[in-house]
Amino acid sequence: MAKFTLPKGSKVKKGKRVDATHKDSTNTKSFKVYRWDPEDETNPRLDEYVLDLDDCGPMVLDALIHIKDNVDSSLTFRRSCREGICGSCAMNIDGRNTLACLKPINEVKSDVKITPLPHMPVVKDLVPDLSHAYAQYESIEPWMKTDSPAPTRERLQSQTDAQMLNGNDGKGPAACILCFCCTTSCPSYWWNPEKFMGPAVLLNAWRWITDTRDEATDERLDQLEDPFKLYRCHTIMNCTNSCPKDLNPAQSISEIKKLMAERHS
Amino acid sequence: MADDQDFRSPLKKAKGLGAAHAGVHHWMAQRITALALIPLVVWLVYSIVDLKGASYAEFMAWTASPINAVLMIFFVIASFYHGVLGAQVVVEDYIKCKCLKMTKLIAHKLFFTALAIATIFSILKIAFTAG
Repeated sequence: MAKFTLPKGSKVKKGKRVDATHKDSTNTKSFKVYRWDPEDETNPRLDEYVLDLDDCGPMVLDALIHIKDNVDSSLTFRRSCREGICGSCAMNIDGRNTLACLKPINEVKSDVKITPLPHMPVVKDLVPDLSHAYAQYESIEPWMKTDSPAPTRERLQSQTDAQMLNGNDGKGPAACILCFCCTTSCPSYWWNPEKFMGPAVLLNAWRWITDTRDEATDERLDQLEDPFKLYRCHTIMNCTNSCPKDLNPAQSISEIKKLMAERHS
Repeated sequence: MADDQDFRSPLKKAKGLGAAHAGVHHWMAQRITALALIPLVVWLVYSIVDLKGASYAEFMAWTASPINAVLMIFFVIASFYHGVLGAQVVVEDYIKCKCLKMTKLIAHKLFFTALAIATIFSILKIAFTAG
């Protein structure tokens, strides 16, 4: 059966509490952060760090950086651009997958609970192992495939065609940053990660299927026509709900399903 | 070196056994039966409410009328087919053990088919003998 509870060794225990506020702090907030080190043979724990928000920037990532720099240098997390374009700091904050750099601390009313992206193996603390999701992305061959001879200049596209990729508002499938917030929020992906491609990869598959310059639409549809790879999507919509870039993976998946139906009728 | 060490590459695992080139039929059948069930359920609920307080004979006569019998059989086929497709998805979603999964898939298909045949037979029997 599908597992509905965490295995014994993964159960999260209560961790230490570190108060990093000052005597005269008034603007304080508690951050409960998931900690796990593969070298310790202990269960993961939730460490609590109490910060003075006047000491750090406004985003959750600022708080994590503040903890690492000033409170506990052993805290491990990924981050790079701090402006929502690299997708490195994807994690679960206050029960939702999002990017720590785009999540304002003051949007969280109570204590800020931070855990790694759900249902992925953990490398350490807030760093998930995304190897499988990346390999699934690789399996859809996310690059331009053509049989016609290469032109001597750029491959042209009409403005309408380009809008299929970019969307009218810049929120088309080409804007995906591969943070995998959507994929790791999808219950269908939790139950069948080996076979189901997950929303991020399907959104990117759609990005190439709908690209008017790409000539491998048939091949791409062939590769996805499968009860698990594509049809495990039950339109639960967690993907669209969680996307920190406001993209709509659920819609992209529906578009693929519509094309599948079209070529059979 | 441990025997259980996994040397398969992530790409090998992601590709798995490849696409089954199936699933469209299941997806479309589920939607078509759902569409058929909207008017059929409205009709059935309306009819049953309308028959409130009816005697056994009246009920039999209602079922025996050609339109009602045909719509009932349509309802039985659409609902059982829709049910089988839905149950298949639930089993595929939640059951990990390959052996148990196969057994469940085959068993529930046979069970639902038998049930549908029995129901249709009952309707036909009433239609052809009552009234």
